Amino acid sequence: MEVLAYFPDYLSGLWITTTASLLSFAAALVLGVITAVFRRSGIWPLKVIGAVYVEVIRNTPSLVQIFLIFFGLPSIGIHLPAFEAGVIALAINGGAYLAEIIRAGLTKVPSGQFEAARTLGLGRTDTFFHVVFPQAARYVYPPVINEFIQIILATSLLSTVALNELTGTALVVNSLTFQTLVAFAVALVLYLILTNVVSFAAAWLGRRMFHPPLQLRQERQHGKTLLKRLTIMAGGR
Amino acid sequence: MIVDVKDVRKSFGDVEVLKGIDLSVEKGEVIVIIGASGSGKSTLLRTINNLETIDSGEIWVDGTAVHDPKAAHNVHRDVGMVFQQFNLFPHLTALKNVTLALRRVKRMSKDEAEKVAMEALAKVGLAEKAGNYPQQLSGGQQQRVAIARALAMAPKIMLFDEATSALDPELVGEVTKVMRDLAQEGMTMLVVTHEMGFARDTADRVLFVDSGVIVEQGAPEQIFTAPSNPRTQQFLHRVLEA
Repeated sequence: MEVLAYFPDYLSGLWITTTASLLSFAAALVLGVITAVFRRSGIWPLKVIGAVYVEVIRNTPSLVQIFLIFFGLPSIGIHLPAFEAGVIALAINGGAYLAEIIRAGLTKVPSGQFEAARTLGLGRTDTFFHVVFPQAARYVYPPVINEFIQIILATSLLSTVALNELTGTALVVNSLTFQTLVAFAVALVLYLILTNVVSFAAAWLGRRMFHPPLQLRQERQHGKTLLKRLTIMAGGR
Repeated sequence: MIVDVKDVRKSFGDVEVLKGIDLSVEKGEVIVIIGASGSGKSTLLRTINNLETIDSGEIWVDGTAVHDPKAAHNVHRDVGMVFQQFNLFPHLTALKNVTLALRRVKRMSKDEAEKVAMEALAKVGLAEKAGNYPQQLSGGQQQRVAIARALAMAPKIMLFDEATSALDPELVGEVTKVMRDLAQEGMTMLVVTHEMGFARDTADRVLFVDSGVIVEQGAPEQIFTAPSNPRTQQFLHRVLEA
């Protein structure tokens, strides 16, 4: 099949998708934590900054945000390559969603935990890092992983700024071979593999990182249905 | 005098929950505070270690002016507290629950902190559970770890805020035993409880609190056998008949 001749290109596209996702997610996580802490702080300018950021990002299309950074910033003299612009756009976008997830997680830590920390004489910083954050991390782990998957999927938008990530590669292969169905199906399967690897890795990590072990039930079911799907595709039950 | 509470008032919104409380506690004294829910007894306890701020009055704890916002945080060095809901840190083992403040607040080395923590856990009879997480322990065991966590900080005063109220009846005894041992050793204790048996046999002084005032106080035998105030009589009648 003609499309398969381009398989190495798909793999390099997958590589770009993977690195863009990881970098965006890592930066988004940092942004998310900082914004969540801002919004919970008693300092109103920080609260306002956090609130405005979250509201602007969550109420505008990701694609417009990407265009603004890639096409818009050069007009004020900031020229960013497609990859960098894309990672920055997705990090800013993901950070707003993660901020709300993390904020909700911090809210779920019972007030008794703060009181216990206080009566032991722990300061604000120690309380946050040793008492509150580890517990919030457990609450937010599943939705944070879910957001990571969303970021992976959102990297496909970067094909619009001529980045040859997975979707961009599929577009190119399609225009070269005109085998539209196969060209995009290959990309689809590679996305599916990538997201499932992330899900399984996250579930594995969740079982080891938290006490008691955190079971990502949703992810496990997701895994099972994939297995079922593959069995059916292979002519099984 | 190690605790001195002078004319303390405290309101939540329009509701005045403490209406001028005076209380002096001598070193080594075991004070049990009884009263109906909403009488203000827990709030009184929580003002002593600054978990609740007060509207007026003074609270002195071993020389610390708890009513002074600038000095109040020092109270946590001298006062340990045990809560109704245990409030153990669920992500840490029993041992780590105890060592956390030893390391972060008292700046002990890991070895030193673990030694102190193991001594505290041994004292509540849970040395062998040091590696367990809170959810692997029974309620009674969790509360004993919480007591060990507070004791490890070497407080001069221990506050118990309904420490046995969340426990199944058969687990109450193991916690009150630890509290009795502590009283025996001369710890200054302020105990809010519904365990009248504990009040009767361990308290040096029993306080009956109703509607934000200390209605009556005295030795347990006096309070339990010959309460002078009708409100105390009524409360004890309800509680002891049940």
